[in-house]
Amino acid sequence: MKKGHTEVLYGLYNDEEILLDAVRQAKKEHLDIMDVFTPFPIHGLDPILGLAESRLHQAGFVYGATGTCTAFLFMTWVFTRDWPIIFGGKPYWSVPAFIPITFELTVLFAAIGMVVSFYIICGLGPGVTNEVLDDRITDDKFCLAFQTNGYSEDQIDKLKSFLTSTGVEEIGAKVI
Amino acid sequence: MNTDHATIDHAEDIKHFVFEGKQKTTLLAFIVLGILCMVGTFFIDSNRFWTNYLHNAVFFLGMSFVATFVLSAFMLAYAGWHVVMKRVWEAFMLFLPVGLIMMLLVIVGLWMHGHHLYHWSMDGIADPTSPNYDKILAGKVPFLNKYWYTFGTLIIVGIWTFFAYRLRSLSLREDEEGTTDYALHQQMKKVAAIFLPIGAFTSAALVWQWVMSIDGHWYSTLYAWYATASWFVAMLALTILILIYLKSKGYYKAVTAEHLHDLGKYMFAFSVFWTYLWFSQFMLIWYGNNGEETVYYNLRRHEYTILYFGNLVLNFVLPFLILMRNDTKRKYGTLGFTAVIVFFGHWWDYFYLIKPGARLNALHAHHGAGHGHEDAAHGAGEAAHGAAGHAAEHGADLAHAAGHAVQEGTEFAMGFTIPGFLEIGTFLGFLAFFLYFVFNRMEKAALMPKNDPYLAESLHHHV
Repeated sequence: MKKGHTEVLYGLYNDEEILLDAVRQAKKEHLDIMDVFTPFPIHGLDPILGLAESRLHQAGFVYGATGTCTAFLFMTWVFTRDWPIIFGGKPYWSVPAFIPITFELTVLFAAIGMVVSFYIICGLGPGVTNEVLDDRITDDKFCLAFQTNGYSEDQIDKLKSFLTSTGVEEIGAKVI
Repeated sequence: MNTDHATIDHAEDIKHFVFEGKQKTTLLAFIVLGILCMVGTFFIDSNRFWTNYLHNAVFFLGMSFVATFVLSAFMLAYAGWHVVMKRVWEAFMLFLPVGLIMMLLVIVGLWMHGHHLYHWSMDGIADPTSPNYDKILAGKVPFLNKYWYTFGTLIIVGIWTFFAYRLRSLSLREDEEGTTDYALHQQMKKVAAIFLPIGAFTSAALVWQWVMSIDGHWYSTLYAWYATASWFVAMLALTILILIYLKSKGYYKAVTAEHLHDLGKYMFAFSVFWTYLWFSQFMLIWYGNNGEETVYYNLRRHEYTILYFGNLVLNFVLPFLILMRNDTKRKYGTLGFTAVIVFFGHWWDYFYLIKPGARLNALHAHHGAGHGHEDAAHGAGEAAHGAAGHAAEHGADLAHAAGHAVQEGTEFAMGFTIPGFLEIGTFLGFLAFFLYFVFNRMEKAALMPKNDPYLAESLHHHV
């Protein structure tokens, strides 16, 4: 869905336990949840929503391995082909001396790669502005959101009454 | 994740461990096997027996110390997740006085000249007129002597024992008379806070005495870290195995994949930490290329190649690759499998620390005034040092050329070059004895603490 064309109906909750119950109830009634926004990670929310485990760490492994190879091969090339220098009477290809830098580059590549991937996946980054349903979901409100594009008045009323029945604090609608 | 689950499990959980007759028989059989192996080894080669004995005594005593240390550290760090299984570590730490009694045999052997584990213990080591005179060790005699060894061990392990038993009795009292103002917990915290610095410094001194001084000429400032990290990983691996076993017997239902996941993470992290020390110690010595220091690695890398690289494979490569994934730490099969590898691996690590040096020491002792070996090795190291432009690896060849320093006393010998069946048997005997003691102590208290302020947090633990 393009930006500015997603109609959203959302409910704000005061407590994560109430929210968890609401999400469970919504799942039971086979409602199509768009997303859940919380100010902090809630244990047990992912399995209830049926979210698959993130594959970010697998990407991290690949970035790390790239870092390992880059550092090791680069140093090998520099010290055996490009500019061989004897340090402290050691052979040109001194593997132990390469280990610290190889380690550092592994960490650096894995860290930066994962941060960048995370930003891209989440649509974040410098200069990007994302519409937020309600500013308080970054503070103390827990939000359950439904996408309502093409919903009839009836269907929306049904969702509203569902939200009310689960102990919602506030109901809002917004186009993002 | 599901809060109701934990509570239900807790209610259903078997509160008391029963040490069954069958388990006792099995463990006793292994203890007998261990004793038979030790007796057998003693008559085949007394040096092999003494090194095996010291190896296992230090290994199991160290795990017991680390359990005390970790429980104290967790308590001060307001950690809660481990509380549900803290009785296992409490049982570990109660082993301290038994470990002390084990070390007494080494001490008796030291005074009776029963073994030649330590070259510094030879008569006349600091006397320039004696054929045993050793200039380097003479300078270390104020620390490396029988009195320090004996009283250091007695007093320091005695102090550890005092703290361990104090923590245990407070923990048991909390079960009975714990109140919501958690006064007893506060008291435990104070005990833990006093123990931590004492334990940290004194353990280093004992590791130097017990293990590092076997290679008396050599020293390394991060040795104590290395040895303690090894103990810690071994202790975690054994904890994981015991928990998985007890769960299979129907105990500890409240210990979930979440707790084992955390233990697995600790095992992974400290395997890497151990490797960091393993490598740092090597690299600094390799780079420094000081003959006095390189002789240690020269001996191990070139004459004990299987031990040396096997150590790295068992304790770094395998746990690193297996435990890196999230799910391998949550599946009891893979986690237990890795724990077995790592537990054996750190036992192997202590084997590697003790055997090569102790073997040369015995050789010197039998040759009487024959400490020429190390001098020659030393000279070879100097030669390597002088030969700038040559690879450090070539130092070995130089050492061979410079004298038969490294060759004698390093030819293949079962029980020194690699652990043989007698070593494995001895190890199983000690392990069975340790487990017998641990199970016996676990039977004496409720499996789960009752009034610990962090119990609820631990029951609801979720990573």
